[in-house]
Amino acid sequence: MIQLTLRRLAMAMLILFGVSVVIFLLMNVLPGDPVATLLGPDASNADRLALRHSLGLDKPLPTQYVDWLGRTLTGDLGYSQYRRAEVLSLINAAWVNTAILAGFSALFGLVAGVALGFAAGARRGKVVDKVISTFGMAGLSIPSFFVAIILLTFFAARWRWLPAGGTSLSGAGQGGLGEFVRHLIMPVVAGSLVTLAITARVTRASIVEAYQADFVETLRAKGLTGLQILRHVFKNALSPVLTTSGLQIGYLLGGSVLIETIFQWPGIGLLLYNAIEARDLVVVEGTTLVIAGTFVLINLLVDLLQAVIDPRQRYALA
Amino acid sequence: MTELTADDLRERWYQSEVSVPPISYWSVVRRRFLRNKLGVAALIVLILIIAAAVFAPWICPYDPLVGKPADRLQNIFSFSTGHPLGTDEQGRDMLTRVLYGGRLSLLAGFVPTLVAAVVGTIIGTWAGLVRGAVGAILMRIMDMLYAFPAILLAIAVGSSLGAGLSNTIIAVSIVFIPPVSRIAESETRKIVTSEYVEAARLSGASRIRILRTQLLPNVLNEIIVYSSGLVGVAMIIAASLSFLGLGSRPPTPEWGYMLESLQGDIYVVPAVVAVPGIFIFLTSVTFNTASDALREAMDTRLG
Repeated sequence: MIQLTLRRLAMAMLILFGVSVVIFLLMNVLPGDPVATLLGPDASNADRLALRHSLGLDKPLPTQYVDWLGRTLTGDLGYSQYRRAEVLSLINAAWVNTAILAGFSALFGLVAGVALGFAAGARRGKVVDKVISTFGMAGLSIPSFFVAIILLTFFAARWRWLPAGGTSLSGAGQGGLGEFVRHLIMPVVAGSLVTLAITARVTRASIVEAYQADFVETLRAKGLTGLQILRHVFKNALSPVLTTSGLQIGYLLGGSVLIETIFQWPGIGLLLYNAIEARDLVVVEGTTLVIAGTFVLINLLVDLLQAVIDPRQRYALA
Repeated sequence: MTELTADDLRERWYQSEVSVPPISYWSVVRRRFLRNKLGVAALIVLILIIAAAVFAPWICPYDPLVGKPADRLQNIFSFSTGHPLGTDEQGRDMLTRVLYGGRLSLLAGFVPTLVAAVVGTIIGTWAGLVRGAVGAILMRIMDMLYAFPAILLAIAVGSSLGAGLSNTIIAVSIVFIPPVSRIAESETRKIVTSEYVEAARLSGASRIRILRTQLLPNVLNEIIVYSSGLVGVAMIIAASLSFLGLGSRPPTPEWGYMLESLQGDIYVVPAVVAVPGIFIFLTSVTFNTASDALREAMDTRLG
């Protein structure tokens, strides 16, 4: 187990390194000159060269990367000229909000998804299964921003039941737990619908497959009741569900750009969106790095968790 | 006696022994697919949507880009004024814009899927065949791209390339290449060591011939099933990028962008605002349903 943990850790480090290379290349090699953006079209050639030198852009690319990585590792993600603030302090202020939103979305989507998928898989071919499968297919195919707009139209605009956006955590609107929940409902539902649908589909497929395994026959021969067999099946079906869970949390973090923008939720996603609009590449770079890095770590945790609960995985992964 | 070639022998054998005509794999798949009513229904709706979008210039009497401001924001079902799906904030006919927009949205669904399927298959099959250092490096690069949440990678690529539909298509293609190549690689590894490839090698088939007749058909089955499920996802990612202002630029209609630009009028004509969203949903859900049906018909076991 220790050996496996170390190996997985080394792998995650390698992937993190790769992620940093990809982000660096995206922001530095592809078209678009940061110097031209910063100085505007009227700047003189000498000014451009001077800025180029002071930003270190005249050095060879690998040197630039090492410099950038060194700064990033020491916690210096750069300074946003546009926001007039350190990128790290911007992210520090935003990440708690994203963690709250993504956390609750993951909780809701995964728990409800497993429950629905379980119900459908256990009653395969029955009405329950058909209703849930149809719902799963629909949830998979609907864009989250469209769900968000529909929710806003009815719950915020027409019936005025829920606030249209923002969070009760910051600013003047401190309203205790009730307000906090009221602000969370729509973003969580809109954001987690896809998670819910995919989790339900994976759980259902996994339960159906586990039911076809030989051990079910053995249990039946031993005289176990349907409910007892279901317990064994559920345990065996959990592994693919866990793998998807890790991926889903990552998608929730990525999708937070859309959801946070629509509901004006002051998290990393909104920060990224505003940075894209302003072409504030330092912030784009920093936020992308944080989200992708978190995704890698979550997948590492899921891998290890899987090895803990399922001994077979220990050999498969090692 | 003249010398008999293998083909002559095979011909003779067919004439004498085989009384039932051989059934090809694809005809079996077609028959199984046609038995799936839901899948067939989805396919028909899908074909209708695609046809309507492709033939939009011949169907629609209105200009998709220029409207009459006097007719702005009419509700849906305004048959008397000739706008069955209403008009948008500039008085442009919504039905016309939705159909024209469908051309771009469908393009943004198909092109990245095709590109990723071709490039991913090449990378994955190559990595699976040569293995060693080259294969390992290729797959590790894929792992690194795969370590991003899909939409985040698309946003990062899109924002560094700049706004525009072609950039969106490039971004989504890059997002899809890693998962396709992973499937192609694992499938290739499995097939290369299989007995029928061994048999083909023993019978003297060249590497190219094994690749063409044994390997690719089997790898492609997996890729076809997987890719068919990607089109809907690609459309949603592309629409999301447009919604964020990274996709197609005004006034060109595209479903995600239309939804974004109409958002402000949600209190006036909610049903009209919903139109592009409903079309994204309808196209995506029919694609996914047809893909599920194809998966069942082809009987591959892929999650």
